[in-house]
Amino acid sequence: MLTAAAVIGVGHFIAQRQDYENSIERSYQAEMAARVEFAEGNRAGAARRTIAREEANRAELRNSISEDTRNTAILVGGGLLAGLIGALLLFAGLIASMRRPLEALVDAAGRLAAGDRSTRVEVGGPSETATLGKAFNEMATELELEASERDQLDRMKDEFVLTASHELRSPLTSVQGFAELLMLDRDSLTQRQVETVEIILDNCRHLVRLLNDLLDLARSDAGRLTIRPRPTRLTPLLEDVVRTMRAQTDKSEQTLTENIEPDLPLVEVEPDRIRQILLNLLTNAHEYSPERASIQLTARVADTGVEIDVIDNGPGIPPAQMEHIFERFVRGDAGMTQRVGGTGLGLAISKSLVELHGGTIAVDSEVGRGSTFRVTLPVAPPGAVEAPQAGPRAIAEGPR
Amino acid sequence: MTTVLVADDSETILLLLRTRLELAGYEVQTAADGQEVTERVVPGSSDGPDLLLLDAMMPRKSGIEALRELRAAGLETPALIVSAHQDPRDADAPTDLEISGYVTKPIDFDQLLDAVAELTAKAA
Repeated sequence: MLTAAAVIGVGHFIAQRQDYENSIERSYQAEMAARVEFAEGNRAGAARRTIAREEANRAELRNSISEDTRNTAILVGGGLLAGLIGALLLFAGLIASMRRPLEALVDAAGRLAAGDRSTRVEVGGPSETATLGKAFNEMATELELEASERDQLDRMKDEFVLTASHELRSPLTSVQGFAELLMLDRDSLTQRQVETVEIILDNCRHLVRLLNDLLDLARSDAGRLTIRPRPTRLTPLLEDVVRTMRAQTDKSEQTLTENIEPDLPLVEVEPDRIRQILLNLLTNAHEYSPERASIQLTARVADTGVEIDVIDNGPGIPPAQMEHIFERFVRGDAGMTQRVGGTGLGLAISKSLVELHGGTIAVDSEVGRGSTFRVTLPVAPPGAVEAPQAGPRAIAEGPR
Repeated sequence: MTTVLVADDSETILLLLRTRLELAGYEVQTAADGQEVTERVVPGSSDGPDLLLLDAMMPRKSGIEALRELRAAGLETPALIVSAHQDPRDADAPTDLEISGYVTKPIDFDQLLDAVAELTAKAA
């Protein structure tokens, strides 16, 4: 508005200036004519009056034009200032109108990145942000579609692994069962036949372990790995695990010692699963450590629960492998795994199981010095009493 | 002589179970599915088997279904269920049936024979 007034003002000023110059010109001409008349001596009195009048006239014109100039300057300055303020207000308004849709977009992108694929934004604001919002929604729809296809594939994979590991159990039962049948009659077999059957049985056990591990992982992926924790006394469980392991460590002349703090509190766990985890950690320590190595199982109370350490003085784990140690199918050195019978799934399953219990598992290792795996288990609520196992018992459970 | 009725739809597994049980001194009857089991076993009869060893999943009639029918008819004979499931708790484990135990595949025969001995000793 004021800017328009300034423009008009400037126009007006230019026209006025023209008038002024014309009036000054006319005044000079009138004065000049009067001076000529005065010099010629014609009507000298009237001519002098005309000269004085024209001088006064011009002085007045000069005053008036300088006032006009001042007014115009004020008008132009004010107009420009108002224009600047107007532009700033307009810009601020534009920013404000884009800010809300942009903030919504940033927020939605964050949610999408965090995995909420149903995230959409409300398309609004200036056309630029509206277009951006539309593009974002199309991208999110695309992602959601891909994710649901992937989820479906994942479910099919999980179902497949579950079914396959069940279906493989029957033929495996036959192979192992009939090989055992042969061994019942081992006195009538030659030495070479006995060795052959032993190889079959060794491989059956490995296959069973692999199947069980795969099944646990598939269950874990499908969210169907469940535990039934109950208040449990750790000491007998730990002693039993050490007894089970001793047969193997004795063969390698490794020393296996236990150091269990007396009066451990009850822990809230499923005993079979804890046995599975600890046997896995001890088997790793046994298999990866050389003959005559020493392996230790310790347990003590800590602030976070009961800490169980499996310590060996074996070859240790290189730092590069350490970050991936709990991932599936990650195993020690290729050279080492030749003689180690693991499946590469044990630690991944152990981690899933420990976390299912609300506990933690961690590793500390130094190449050449050995490794320590620490499992922390939650203490049972105060006042809890040891509970017996519920439900029907399992007989002839395959080796884990 | 102690008699065990074994039901499995796999002839191979049936042969394996029969051989191991016979070697351990049991008399073994076999059935190919749950239908044969319910036809063979008469609840309340005195010369029936001393133990049932039933596969959980069989065509026509599963071991679980057969046992459910027999229990409803008043059979008290102990029964073991053989399952391909690793964990009896996530097998379609019924909680309303009197089941003495689950045998998981692959079968650990030392433990199975211990359980059979224990259950048939109770029956005798």
